[in-house]
Amino acid sequence: MAEEQLVTLNLEKEEFGIDIMMVQEIIRIPAITRVPKAPEYVEGVINLRGNIIPVVDLRTRFRMDRTDDTDLSRIIVLQVDKKVFGVRVDAVNEVLRLNDEDIEPPPPVALGVETRFIRGVGKIGERLLILLNADQIMDEEFNHESFE
Amino acid sequence: MGVCFMSEDPRDAGVDLGEFLEFYLLDSQEQIERLGTGLLQLEKEGNNITLINDLFRSAHSLKGASGTMGFTPIVALTHAAEDLLDRLRQGKTEVTMEIIDILLAVTDRVKMMLEQVKQNQEITVEFVDLTESLKRLTEGAPKDGTAAAAEGEAKEEDPALKDVPVVDFALTAAEKAEVANALETGHGVFQVEIAFDSKAVMRAVRAVMAVQRAESIGTVVKSAPGMEEIEAENCAKFSLLLICDEAAGEIQEELMNVSELSGVEVHFYADPLAPGKSPGEAVGAAKRETLLQAEPAVKTDSQPAAVMAATTAPDAAKGNSSVQTIRVDTVRMDNLINMAGEMVITRTRLVQNGLDLKDAHPDDHLVSQLNETNMYLGRLMNDLQEGIMRLRMVPIGTVFSRFPRLVRDLARKTGKEITLELRGEETELDKTVVEVIGDPMMHLIRNSVDHGIEMPEERQLTDKPKIGTILLDAYHEGNHIVILISDDGQGLSLEKIKAKALEKGLISEREELSDRDVGNLIFLPGFSTADQVTDISGRGVGMDVVKKALSNLGGSIDIDTKRGKGTTFTIRLPLTLAIIQALLVNVGEEVYAVPLSSVLETLLVERKDIKSVGGLPMIQLRGKTLPMISLHKKFDIPTRQEKADPLCVVVVGLGEKAFGLIVDELRGQQEVVIKSLGEHLNNLPGIAGATILGDGKVTLILDVGALVQEIMIERKNRS
Repeated sequence: MAEEQLVTLNLEKEEFGIDIMMVQEIIRIPAITRVPKAPEYVEGVINLRGNIIPVVDLRTRFRMDRTDDTDLSRIIVLQVDKKVFGVRVDAVNEVLRLNDEDIEPPPPVALGVETRFIRGVGKIGERLLILLNADQIMDEEFNHESFE
Repeated sequence: MGVCFMSEDPRDAGVDLGEFLEFYLLDSQEQIERLGTGLLQLEKEGNNITLINDLFRSAHSLKGASGTMGFTPIVALTHAAEDLLDRLRQGKTEVTMEIIDILLAVTDRVKMMLEQVKQNQEITVEFVDLTESLKRLTEGAPKDGTAAAAEGEAKEEDPALKDVPVVDFALTAAEKAEVANALETGHGVFQVEIAFDSKAVMRAVRAVMAVQRAESIGTVVKSAPGMEEIEAENCAKFSLLLICDEAAGEIQEELMNVSELSGVEVHFYADPLAPGKSPGEAVGAAKRETLLQAEPAVKTDSQPAAVMAATTAPDAAKGNSSVQTIRVDTVRMDNLINMAGEMVITRTRLVQNGLDLKDAHPDDHLVSQLNETNMYLGRLMNDLQEGIMRLRMVPIGTVFSRFPRLVRDLARKTGKEITLELRGEETELDKTVVEVIGDPMMHLIRNSVDHGIEMPEERQLTDKPKIGTILLDAYHEGNHIVILISDDGQGLSLEKIKAKALEKGLISEREELSDRDVGNLIFLPGFSTADQVTDISGRGVGMDVVKKALSNLGGSIDIDTKRGKGTTFTIRLPLTLAIIQALLVNVGEEVYAVPLSSVLETLLVERKDIKSVGGLPMIQLRGKTLPMISLHKKFDIPTRQEKADPLCVVVVGLGEKAFGLIVDELRGQQEVVIKSLGEHLNNLPGIAGATILGDGKVTLILDVGALVQEIMIERKNRS
């Protein structure tokens, strides 16, 4: 039986899961440099040991209200298709395993988040985990609108 | 052995093969380049035996490597070429145009094959026609049947003048194999006897220096006695076993640069235990011969050979100037640069800690020591960073070297006679620049051949030498490299250009243009005056593309043309795309870096002096109007100093177009390392890249060119 490992994170009251294979590391919020003319959800860029990587505010990306940093705020550094970027989340909870059979396809009516960002919904007892499509977070849509 | 495995991805066959393949491709391409340039040289010089030996060696190692990898078609071709080259070096056949042509064709064909290998395709390139022709040439009538000519090489050197001291280097099996391999592949293996001056102190140091010198031109297999013994026993002399492609004289000259040596002798090396090889073998003939001896008295103050050896000399005249190099993945190098940068940042923090400690404990001498050490560390860090940056520098000769062939072929095609002169090939510039200037240069050279140089008959009518000349030159000028592409052809017709520009509506009748301005019109998009479209230089897409490619690199191009005398293109490029001098400015909470190359001056401007013209803020500066952009507005940055007066203005410009950037504060000038914002964020309007400052924070670098363009468009739209 196939199972996958997930890193779970919080945004507002929802709990999300990201495939651990895409997570490069988890860091505290460093100084973020704003990038003018960048898409709205790109909060800016940070210095990750000499490499400059963009940071997406997942709240803005999912059209939630923005909040101030807390002690729990983190940036999850993801690597998708060899591209590295960070996503800012309210908190990172745990790493857990999920059996394939406990994953359901995304519901037609989204959970307050655009369906293209959702890969499925995981069930752990009573808990519902929204599984994120990491490769959509920085997708082409943005490329189309920002060029030209 | 066969080509069968090429039908599937060789990378699937195992990681190792993939790695080998990559190495093979790199190496083969290098050999092919060498063959190509060597052949052109040979065409000019005729029977140059060292050159032919070099070519033979390249073909041989190409054949060997391809055989190991199982690429039979390449083996077949290179084998046939090797046979022909063997005839040449034995003096049985003369170098002819036909031979050069066919050997060049071989290099082209092998290149195509390698390309297929690279693409993981089966090799389908036809080659039988070439091997047939090669065979025909090889079997062709011998010059005069002197089969003994083979030994010519060895006989040219003076026979042994005196006995070579027998030195037991106590080689390990691996070292023996290395030597044997070097002899087999035609490299020179030398026994170098080095004697210390009787007054020399610190002999071990001299020995190390000598070894380093030797390493700069070849590979030191072993020294006898070893370094420790030299140090301990205060020897009077020692011996080196050196694999090197330089001539004995070069080696000697190189080593004599080390002071406190009383003499250097260079001999061919032979393994005392191995049976002697047949005398017909190439350069590395395993025969004991004293080649050269030198006493310091004879030593002339010659150019240090290291300088020459350190550049991958593209002219094959020096032939076997193979350099001791290693290949490093650029990603690894970039990581190194990043790490060095991070260390600098960490050190800055350390310095701050030290200063804080000093404040807390002003009399503690441990704290003073810490600060001193910090300072020293800082100096080391600077050197380290500079050293790493220098790793990225390559001589421009690597770009130039591909043009002799191009010009030769184009000249043949058009029936023109052209010599290509190369100068300043050793001028170094960043790898990033080298990678991208090839294409724009090629376009300009094609243009010079096609439109610049006249037909031979035409040239003779105008008192010019029948053979046209195209000159490529490169030199440093401040932080820039200047590349000249110059021809002595017919020059551009300024009248024609002007007429064309009028016709296309690119300029208006009233516009007053200097000759230079007119010349530069050819860089406008969609401009071409060629009466005749040829397949050499394009269809009016070209010059603008060249210009664009160069300005993307932060460079510029200028043209100087004289009717009947020729045309010179002057390209100016930054030495590196990786580091620039920048002016740091504060805007609100943000810091931006403005490339210093585009900063003209900085001003303090009172608000009352800013006038609005057509909705755009302007000031009068020395009688000229200067449009202004507020970076606050441009980048939507919340401002702290709403009512600041006077305003801080950075005047930036690109060519004749200048404008003022309104900022909050100037922070000073600094060298910054340009980094990409990554795939997701590059191409943002007005942002050229980013850098990391001493405090570890990311700072954006402004793209002045893009800002100028934007303001121009804005102005046009409003007027």
